[in-house]
Parts: sequence; C-alpha cells; structure tokens
Amino acid sequence: MASIARKQVVQLQGATVRDRLHAMDDSGVVTAFLGGEERAFSELVERYQTRLLNFVYRTIGDREKAEDLVQEVFIRVYRHLHRFDRSKKFSTWVYTIASNLAKNELRNRSRNPLVLFQAIQKNWQDDDRPLQFEDTTSRPDDMYRKRHLREIVEESVAKLPEHHRSVFVLRELEGKSYEEIAEITDCNLGTVKSRLNRARNSFAEIVAPYME
Amino acid sequence: MDCREFQQKHFAFVDDTLPGIDLVGMQMHLIDCEKCAKQDSSVRRSLMLFRNLPPIEVSADFSLRLSQRLELIKAEDATAAQFGRSRKFAAAVALTSVVMLGYIGISLRQVDFPQDIVFPPVVASLPESAASPMTSPGTAMVASVPAGLPMWTAALFAEQAPVHFASIELTTAAR
Repeated sequence: MASIARKQVVQLQGATVRDRLHAMDDSGVVTAFLGGEERAFSELVERYQTRLLNFVYRTIGDREKAEDLVQEVFIRVYRHLHRFDRSKKFSTWVYTIASNLAKNELRNRSRNPLVLFQAIQKNWQDDDRPLQFEDTTSRPDDMYRKRHLREIVEESVAKLPEHHRSVFVLRELEGKSYEEIAEITDCNLGTVKSRLNRARNSFAEIVAPYME
Repeated sequence: MDCREFQQKHFAFVDDTLPGIDLVGMQMHLIDCEKCAKQDSSVRRSLMLFRNLPPIEVSADFSLRLSQRLELIKAEDATAAQFGRSRKFAAAVALTSVVMLGYIGISLRQVDFPQDIVFPPVVASLPESAASPMTSPGTAMVASVPAGLPMWTAALFAEQAPVHFASIELTTAAR
C-alpha cells in the first residue's frame, strides 16, 4: 500500500517536473540540466528535434543522414553543454553545431562522389520519401501535384550553392535574424545579407518555370 | 531609385526591415519599373512556396535510438572516469615510490661509512748502532796496517768512521 502511494507521489513529482521544464525557456532548461536534472535534456530534444531535422534535411537533402546528424547534434549537446556560454542563446549554439555537421557532411560528399551518388539515388526512390505532405482527403491528382511541387521546391533548394543554401534555410524556414545567421554560419552581417539576396533571386529563377 | 539600388535593398524590402523613406522609394520604383516588379513578385511567390513546405517529422524510433546512444556514452564516460581514477592511483603509487627511493638515496649518502683507517705517521728512527769494537780508532788502524789486511776493510771503516767518531764523541761527552 505504502509502495503504491510512494510510486504515485514519484509519478506526480515527475509530471510536475516535466510541466515545470516545459514552461521554462531554453536558458532555464539548460540550467536545470546542468544542475543534475536529466529530464531537462529530453525537454531540449523535444523542443529542437523537428526544427533541427528540417534545417539539416533542407541543407543536405538526405533524410536518413539528416536524422543521424541530428542525433549527433544532441550527443554533442549532451557532452559539451557544460562548456556552453550561457550568456548566449542556446538555439544559436545548437544550430551552429547542426550547421557545422551539415557542412562537414557536404564536404565529405564532395570528396567522395560515390556517397553523393548514393544519396541522390536514395532521394530518387519515392518509397524513401516522407509522406506527411499528403492530405488523405485530397483527390489523387491533387496529391500528385503537391508531391510534384514539393519535389521541385526541394530540388531547387538543393541546386543552390551550399553557403547560400544554409543562409536561405535559416532565414526562410527557421526565421532566424540576420545576426543569428551571421553567428551560426560564422560570417559577417554584410555577407549574410548578400548571400540571402542572391539565394532568394537564384531560387526564384530556378522555380519560376514550374510556377507558370 | 534606380534598379541597382532596388536590387541591393530588395532583401530588406522582402523582410520588411527597410526604413520608411527607403520603403516608399522601393514602392515607387515597383510602379515605375516593370522588370523589377516582375522579379519582386517572382521572389515573393517562390518564398511563399518554400515557407509552406510541410515540415518533416523525426522517425518513430528517433528517441529510442538517441537514448540508446546516450546510455552508451554514459557507460563510456563512467568507464573512462574509473580508468582515470585507477590511473590517478597508479600515478600516486609511482610518485610515492620515486619519493621513497629518493629519500633512501639521500639517507644512504648521509651515513658515515668506515673510511680508510688512518694510522699515526710512521717515524723512522735510526737503530741504535751496535757498540763499535773500535773504541779507539787509532789503535785499530795501527793494528791493521802491520797485519797486512787488505785495504777495502780499511775503506769500510773509513766510511763509517764519522759516525763512529761522532758516537765516540757523544759517548765521551756523556761521560
């Protein structure tokens, strides 16, 4: 009887801690984790997993590899969080790690054409593609059009040069400020603005024929 | 505003971060320049398309895989910490051994080993000469000459003569 009551109390405490962590901002969650609250790390994972996955996926164009890289981001966060400068934004730090890993991945691919070919080939296979885009209530021709459009957009993003692409994705998909993008990509503000301008124009040029 | 300036400020125009004067200038240029207006429209439409891409979700086993990797890392860290502790212990033992060896070495240096035995300096003294049978050299010399003894004995005597003579003198003085 006493053990059941104790278990209920522990569960209640667990739920309270989770709720409290959920209500905290990133800085608070980081402080809680560094203070020994292991559940705080799960909260950080929950907050950033989808955002990071989308960012990495749009940057490297390979979903499976993107998941691996996001896992690697969280491993690095877990290992080095004590070194994180808490006067800065956690999101900038975590995106910097993800951006560097994505950059390394692209660099490795360019050094190893076989890996690049395999990644591209994988993307050609429709079965490997995420299917969340489809709305089951739509008609088949609508679904086809949507999927086709999504493919065009993704391919167009992939055609941008890597340094333009990361700036473009950070701004358009993640809504980061120019200053944050400068910090994440380790560029000055002028470079970020110039790259963003070029990336937008190039993307519009690539997509334009499909939109008419 | 010309097309060049419009192009340069276009990213801020799209993001709506331009100051009021520039914003008005850009809008005026859009009315005047069909080419720039077309480009502006094309950029905005393509961005809308990109921004509306549905987000992809992590796979179902993402959390499980991550927690497995984290467990592995925790185990590795624990092993490393244990290894670090045993390494510290080994280092402490080694350090203690070195200190002890050093101490023993220094102690051995300070011990007084029995050195070479020093004897008092040897003072050699001339052995006392036996009493010369020739107490009176004059007599001996006189006795030998007529006896026909060879000359070398006489020479020997002559060699010892000063000693004998000195001894004789000392003996004489003592008396």
